[in-house]
Amino acid sequence: MHELTLAMEVIRIAGNEADKIMAKSILEIDIEVGDLSGVEPDAFKSALELLSKDSVLNEARINIMRSSGKGRCKSCDFEFEMNNLMATCPKCQAFPSEISGGREFRVLSLVIE
Amino acid sequence: MCDTCGCGRPGEFKVHDPSHSDNHEHKHYHDPEHLHDNEHDHWHDHSHMHEHDHNHYHDHDSHQKRVIDLNIDILSENNNLAKLNRRFFEGRKVLCLNLVSSPGSGKTTILEKTIVAMKDKKKLYVIEGDQQTQLDARRIEKAGASAIQINTGSGCHLDARMVESAVEKLDVEANSILFIENVGNLVCPAMFDLGENKRVVVISVTEGDDKPLKYPYMFQSSHLCLINKSDLMPWVDFKTEETIRNASSINPSLEFITLSAKTGEGMDLWFKWLDKQAEFVISR
Repeated sequence: MHELTLAMEVIRIAGNEADKIMAKSILEIDIEVGDLSGVEPDAFKSALELLSKDSVLNEARINIMRSSGKGRCKSCDFEFEMNNLMATCPKCQAFPSEISGGREFRVLSLVIE
Repeated sequence: MCDTCGCGRPGEFKVHDPSHSDNHEHKHYHDPEHLHDNEHDHWHDHSHMHEHDHNHYHDHDSHQKRVIDLNIDILSENNNLAKLNRRFFEGRKVLCLNLVSSPGSGKTTILEKTIVAMKDKKKLYVIEGDQQTQLDARRIEKAGASAIQINTGSGCHLDARMVESAVEKLDVEANSILFIENVGNLVCPAMFDLGENKRVVVISVTEGDDKPLKYPYMFQSSHLCLINKSDLMPWVDFKTEETIRNASSINPSLEFITLSAKTGEGMDLWFKWLDKQAEFVISR
């Protein structure tokens, strides 16, 4: 739901970076969305596509790269794939686990000309 | 525009001071760039705080097509502004609390009762976040605290920039408490750090005890959970223990206080918690 705000921020970041190197246009943008980032990738992509039309990303292909959630058990230190915030350790069934991956939400790269 | 919650194009918000007339006190921010240029030039001075790697350019073919590696956290601008807000609060020894909940949980009533009970011993301020109207800020001023209303327009949450603008108008005194009543929404405000010391999530007994499981990000990022409207417990199926169990499965360090802002039951525990937090901020 907050995806429109986030899409605006991506456009601002892309515009700033393109300005810095005086890019003629942005052809592609790679964005990483972690499974535990709190961002819904499809809604975010739709929002970005919608807002891109009048922006520096007008011609850009938007690539969303998902990164899976990872947790580390606080009891036995086992690292495992974590699909939600309530996951228990698959090895010792303990709780809680520390989120060790999947919170990423960042602009990875641009392809410009 | 988002047809799920009605989010509009962000960056358009209004700050209202209810103690002044509408004609000259509204600040209209229609574009974040304008805000930076005209209102808050100093924000640009902090660009060195951005925590991302330096750009790395390399050619991939001969048509001047280049890949630029960035690795920029999309929330870094908000997070940096939140850090500045937090530093300001720390410097003035202000306890800042971000109150979040779904609409109708009773946040404003809790604040009204809190102000009436505590205003003689502590200076209290409130930043009110709503999509429209200044109704809540007027209620707060009537109860006896200084208030600023932020209307987010079609936006669904407050961000650090809006709070910075509001704090500038409030001129918060040292050793005080600043409450930020966020827009009623259990999803969007979870992602946006405002610079608060603690986040307080409010649920009422008329909501389901499975709410923490449905909106885990908000419960995971909060420090205290107020379970409000306890006076209605005999008429609803709400199970307090089940709620606490569910919320604790997401956030084991979350604290809980069950209260009724209407009858006053449990409010003393909330006031004690506030005193403890304020003392901690002052003693740091």
